[in-house]
Amino acid sequence: MASTEPAAEPPVAGSEAPDRPSDEAILQQQNQIRAEQAKVSEYVGQEENLGALKAEYENGNQNFVQKIGKLEERYRTFRRTRGDGNCFFRGFIYAYLEGLLQNSDLAEANRFMSVVQSWKAKLVEGGFQELVFEDAMELLLEQVKEVTKASDQFAQEKLLVNMRDDMVSNMIVMFLRLVTSCEVQRREDFFFPFILGMYDEPPATVELFCQRHVEPMGEESDHLHIVAVTEALQIPVRVVYLDSSGLPAGGGGGGAGALEASCHDFVPDSCPPGTAPRVHLLYRPGHYDILYAKSG
Amino acid sequence: MSTPARKRLMRDFRRLTSDPPQGVNGSPNPDNIMQWNCVIFGPEDTPWDGGTFKLTMEFSEEYPNKAPTVKFKTKLFHPNVYADGSICLDILQNQWSPIYDVAAILTSIQSLLSDPNPNSPANGEAARLYNENRREYNRRVREVVEASWVEDVPAEEEGKEDK
Repeated sequence: MASTEPAAEPPVAGSEAPDRPSDEAILQQQNQIRAEQAKVSEYVGQEENLGALKAEYENGNQNFVQKIGKLEERYRTFRRTRGDGNCFFRGFIYAYLEGLLQNSDLAEANRFMSVVQSWKAKLVEGGFQELVFEDAMELLLEQVKEVTKASDQFAQEKLLVNMRDDMVSNMIVMFLRLVTSCEVQRREDFFFPFILGMYDEPPATVELFCQRHVEPMGEESDHLHIVAVTEALQIPVRVVYLDSSGLPAGGGGGGAGALEASCHDFVPDSCPPGTAPRVHLLYRPGHYDILYAKSG
Repeated sequence: MSTPARKRLMRDFRRLTSDPPQGVNGSPNPDNIMQWNCVIFGPEDTPWDGGTFKLTMEFSEEYPNKAPTVKFKTKLFHPNVYADGSICLDILQNQWSPIYDVAAILTSIQSLLSDPNPNSPANGEAARLYNENRREYNRRVREVVEASWVEDVPAEEEGKEDK
């Protein structure tokens, strides 16, 4: 609910109300946490050295420290995104647009724009009303056009400013969510096994899953969302999973193998296997940030 | 001045007039497109049949990324409607998504009327009667239906916001 009148909380139900906090109370707390997040972090932050990431764990779990140390061999910096449940989509599109900008990759930009435009018909066919997505789609296309114009510092700043803007940033996230939902529903047979058993009441369907966990803003993204959106837009993504687990990656090799964060590549079917990822994301349980690979 | 929220609301309005769902109606305030007055007619073949229930919707510039604030202005006896007219409905809260337009919101509320969720009660008494004494529940519903024909005052005094 909108935070316009925090004081006017509706009265809680009568004497029979169980001890569980009311839905309103839970929502209010959720909104409060998000509002606090918004005060301390931008939708997309500044590029930071991995040392800043390591510092978070210096006095904590040493497995993290070791893994980040290893990560530094391949990655130069990272960029935080706001933990508002939209971090995957926001990080993904920001990193992608930034890549287009830095590489002045006109061919890729044109490919992307035509893929995005092709989603118009698919969304309509999937039962989404045009009025719901056309502005958001325009905004995304505008961003792409913008980043292909110039690749200077100013263009970079402009992208950052836009992706920090409530309206622009959220409309784009929303569009990506609709495309993801539509992709999942178009390939129901493929995706259904992944949601099977996620909940029984009412029985899980792909459509219901999308309504509950893909389309609403702030719903966190999982493996399934990533598979769907990378397929839908044909953008290969690498996710580096950073957690506290203690097993050395790759097993076996030589006893004292250093701990290493495991990677998962999401390569769309249309790309040849082994296609280099265009976006690198750092996953820590519940959150995605952007990673920048060392060049060369 | 046309912000995305306003543009979208214009389109919502166009859809609502060109392809109106059955049993609901709404229009923006002539001098403020962010505030709407709407009506839901009680679904046929339910105790709500014949009722005309007025609501207001208030949109922010964050629409459609944020749900509007929706309130009944007609007094209601329903498990998911608070005394001040606010509605406990998932799509208006944590399950909101930008794919809902005004027409979809109104039809969802309309179906909530005859298909309440007594597990998250906003009105404890209504929820209890709905579960335990449907006859009495229906009688109370008929009362608010009949009252809705004559009533032209807001559910609660605070409603001077619709100028």
